[in-house]
Amino acid sequence: MLKIDKGRWQYWFYASWFKIAVRYRKTMLGPIWLLVGPLMFITMLGLLFSVIMNVELAVFVPHLAFGIIVWSLMTSLMNSGTNVVFHNRPQMIHSGTKLLDLVMVNLFNSLLQFAHHILVAVGVYFVFRWALTPYAFVSIIGLIFLIANGFWYGVVFGILGARYRDISEIISALMGVMFFITPIIWMPEAEGRGGILGPYLSLNPFHHFLELIRAPILGTPIAPLSWIVVITITVLGLTAAYIFNARFAKQLPTWL
Amino acid sequence: MMPAPLLRAQNIGLDFPTITPADRKIMTSPVRFLLDFYFSRSLRKSVPVLHDISFEIYPGDRLGILGLNGAGKSTLLRLLAGIYFPTSGHLEVQGQAKGLFDVSMGMQAEATGLENIYLRGLQMGISLGEIKQKLPDIMEFTELGDDIHKVFDTYSSGMRLRLAFAVSTMITPDILLMDEWLGAGDARFKAKVKTRMDGLVEGSRSLVLASHSVALLKQLCTKGLVLHKGEQMYFGSLDDAIKCYDEIVKPKA
Repeated sequence: MLKIDKGRWQYWFYASWFKIAVRYRKTMLGPIWLLVGPLMFITMLGLLFSVIMNVELAVFVPHLAFGIIVWSLMTSLMNSGTNVVFHNRPQMIHSGTKLLDLVMVNLFNSLLQFAHHILVAVGVYFVFRWALTPYAFVSIIGLIFLIANGFWYGVVFGILGARYRDISEIISALMGVMFFITPIIWMPEAEGRGGILGPYLSLNPFHHFLELIRAPILGTPIAPLSWIVVITITVLGLTAAYIFNARFAKQLPTWL
Repeated sequence: MMPAPLLRAQNIGLDFPTITPADRKIMTSPVRFLLDFYFSRSLRKSVPVLHDISFEIYPGDRLGILGLNGAGKSTLLRLLAGIYFPTSGHLEVQGQAKGLFDVSMGMQAEATGLENIYLRGLQMGISLGEIKQKLPDIMEFTELGDDIHKVFDTYSSGMRLRLAFAVSTMITPDILLMDEWLGAGDARFKAKVKTRMDGLVEGSRSLVLASHSVALLKQLCTKGLVLHKGEQMYFGSLDDAIKCYDEIVKPKA
């Protein structure tokens, strides 16, 4: 097993920070490029869809902005999580990097991107300035749940993705569709439930994760069902990660 | 009384799952080709890569692993390092066995030399503070000077070698593992490696070096293990190991 001391945290942070630094090294704006995508997306779609959906800008744009940055974190965790092992084959085989190290670096990498995206959300807040209550802090709990899920997902799907290469294709196709099924560019009705998808919305786990983070900030209530779904998935997932790591981590390098 | 061995391998073997793509000749079997392409109906087989290997390493031993290309030398080193785990037999390692197996692969091509020192150091479990302390020593060995701020990709093979060696000897594991890339340097590099290695392997530590360069092994090692097609041919003194290896190398009359 991995000894987790201060040095490990330094490694996870430095290695992931460095990935971003290298990616933008030769660009003029550097990591500020991370803000450009969401900023354009929110401005354009905010203007367009508030008209199409017939919702006030001040209501729709914050909904869209927090939806899109949380969604980026989820897709980043999902897509890179399935590739985490076989994209890092050389590191695993040539320098003996362990599975948990790879997963943690990957997780930190997604979180660093997310930290940049938060700046966009803060900007949106200063434009529209809705009333924030202490209830908003609940979204930090939601975020912690999401991070824990990113971790187990990386362990379980990193292993599965190394063995069955189809999985990463399935996941990226799935995430493309899920974006439209999850209330990001559209809103559930005022009562909070349903919207375009009606009762089926509650079958979408991404909706529940998103609710836990977004609703407290926007001041809308969280349905008890969302808590139940998120906690259940977290517990089952972490258990699966424990089993997968114990069962397969030793054989994993021979699959690559 | 003999001291306890640092490492004891008892009949260890390693099986590798390999995928052999089924017959993919489009002209002879077009249907098969399509099935194979779309459903990847390849055969997954378990192939033994190492078989029935037993040896011991005592403190102060310097073991050379000899063998032709593809004999399983690098795989055996990775087993000792705990990257792979034996599928049969029993491997007991007291303390740490670590090393670097490939000059460029363990390094990040887009990072500068300095960043690579930090990345590899942290990955091996050294804290930022300790790396800073060791930096002057590493810089002196690599002779890179200001080039340390250049991207690793732009380095010459000699520069890569010096950096890789300095980085992988930052830690002083109980058993230092070195793959044959070490033999690639020029005479000056080899002399430096020898002095550094002597310092590292001093006292109770040991070294395992895989190579097919007999000259290099003679310079650095005291014991020898000969591998041929995944099987252990000989384990014992280096001189006898070299004789055994020569037998294998000699073309059959």
